[in-house]
Amino acid sequence: MEKIDKGIQAIAIIKDSKLFTHLNACVHCGLCAESCLYYRAYKEAKYIPARKVDMVASVYRRYHTFLGKRFPWLTNARKLNEECIDELIDMLYGSCTMCGRCNAHCSIGVDIEYVVRAGRMMLAYMGYVPGSLQSTVDAALNTGNNMAIPTDEFVDTLEWLEEDLQMEVEDDEANIPLDKKNCNILYTLNPREPKFFPLSISAMAKVFYAAGESYTISSQMYDVTNYGYFSSHEEEATVIGQKLHDEMLSLNAGTCVLAECGHGSRAFRWETPNYLEKQFPFKVLTSVELIAQYIRLGKIKTDPSLITERVTLHDPCNLARSGGVINEQRYILENTVSDFVEMMPNGADNFCCGGGGGQMAMGEYNDRRIRIGSIKAEQIKNTGASIVVTPCHNCVDQLMQINATYKLNVQIKTLAEIIADALVFDVKHEEVINKETN
Amino acid sequence: MATIEIEDKVLEVDGEGFLTDPHIWDEEIARLIAKYDGIEEMNDEHWAVVNIIRRNWEEKGMAPMVRVICRETGLRLKQIYQLFPLGPARGACRVAGLPKPDGCV
Repeated sequence: MEKIDKGIQAIAIIKDSKLFTHLNACVHCGLCAESCLYYRAYKEAKYIPARKVDMVASVYRRYHTFLGKRFPWLTNARKLNEECIDELIDMLYGSCTMCGRCNAHCSIGVDIEYVVRAGRMMLAYMGYVPGSLQSTVDAALNTGNNMAIPTDEFVDTLEWLEEDLQMEVEDDEANIPLDKKNCNILYTLNPREPKFFPLSISAMAKVFYAAGESYTISSQMYDVTNYGYFSSHEEEATVIGQKLHDEMLSLNAGTCVLAECGHGSRAFRWETPNYLEKQFPFKVLTSVELIAQYIRLGKIKTDPSLITERVTLHDPCNLARSGGVINEQRYILENTVSDFVEMMPNGADNFCCGGGGGQMAMGEYNDRRIRIGSIKAEQIKNTGASIVVTPCHNCVDQLMQINATYKLNVQIKTLAEIIADALVFDVKHEEVINKETN
Repeated sequence: MATIEIEDKVLEVDGEGFLTDPHIWDEEIARLIAKYDGIEEMNDEHWAVVNIIRRNWEEKGMAPMVRVICRETGLRLKQIYQLFPLGPARGACRVAGLPKPDGCV
């Protein structure tokens, strides 16, 4: 009983009236159905986003409204019993990538994704977060990064990458500075980069080198992700957000630059100030915006003729649709490759890769994730591109799987990786630095 | 419980195709999972990668950093991605019979 009370309380303590408003606003027009990957792939009514809102609303009514408490049968108010909980877990964790495309298509502007998060929060406070998702959150809480990478192994990897950078740019002074105080930038990483896919770190280090940037990476708190955002256990999400906030202060960096990670960018830049109930005393930028600035200001030079293969772009939902970072990645690609084509739809209306909302971490729903990925596979095929670029490591991983499953035969790259291939060093490094200081 | 069937042998796996019980792993199973992923023949380089991953897991309870795989096998990063097109995690760690690593992989 106590467990259920925790869940019921969790959605009652939300500080404003937003949840109550959005739970009562749906007019059941059905426009959201076709916006959702799950409904498009399965054509079953249970996947319609409005149904998910209804589920959360019916539980809310049962415990937090007068009519629902007294006359549940009259108001379709559902009791939070085992059957109901199983259904909620399956629909809210197992059948939603939190891509927010339904929000954009809602005729009256219901924040459906927010309602899903509230429902997840209720389940999280009852202890029903799917096991594999919770273990990713626990790793971040206990070790400071979501893959539990020991610090010495992290430092060893970064030193190895530094040697690689020196060879690549033929400069023994080129470095990847760790734990340096008072830099312009504290750069973050997705732990999958140092663990398994470090080419994107090398690429970004090369961009920083070319721009002559003063930056550092923290060996203690470099993780850009916040899986507490996906599990929606707000206290845990807050602890994770606080860690990066505190590291910014202790290293006294000017701007926190978020690695290519959709949910991480959203969770830190746009959600953590809410979690902490304070404005950040420092600036936050995504690396996509930073690189676009570098090109615009002439701090780095790229030569589009170096990349002639056809390239298309996948917009991460949290960055593009929710964050409004849409033009920057296009500006970068126009300056980096010679044959860029859009997939349709794109930008704010883009389809999710299928791996959002923590789906990459939840093996429980693997089959669904691969099936809804067929929609993205179709989009990619239609472009005729041989390289797909996306500024999100989570999307990269889903796209890699789609690539293998649907035999797309494309290369998947992060933005930094493609830029690193098009970088030209016609201006000497020292000259850039001199220009900076003059 | 999910299963995958390769060459008439049935393996119990989690939703992502990682072995449910890493302790039943042997070289025959590695060969079968690799085949399932389209790796027809495991060559010496495949085995070198898989053995390092397996050893690290047995000693430290986790998959090694890709840096360690490179150092111990003498292979370059790009070779590792070519050997296991699904990457070190979903590709190599799975063939090595490890549970799925946490995070965005």
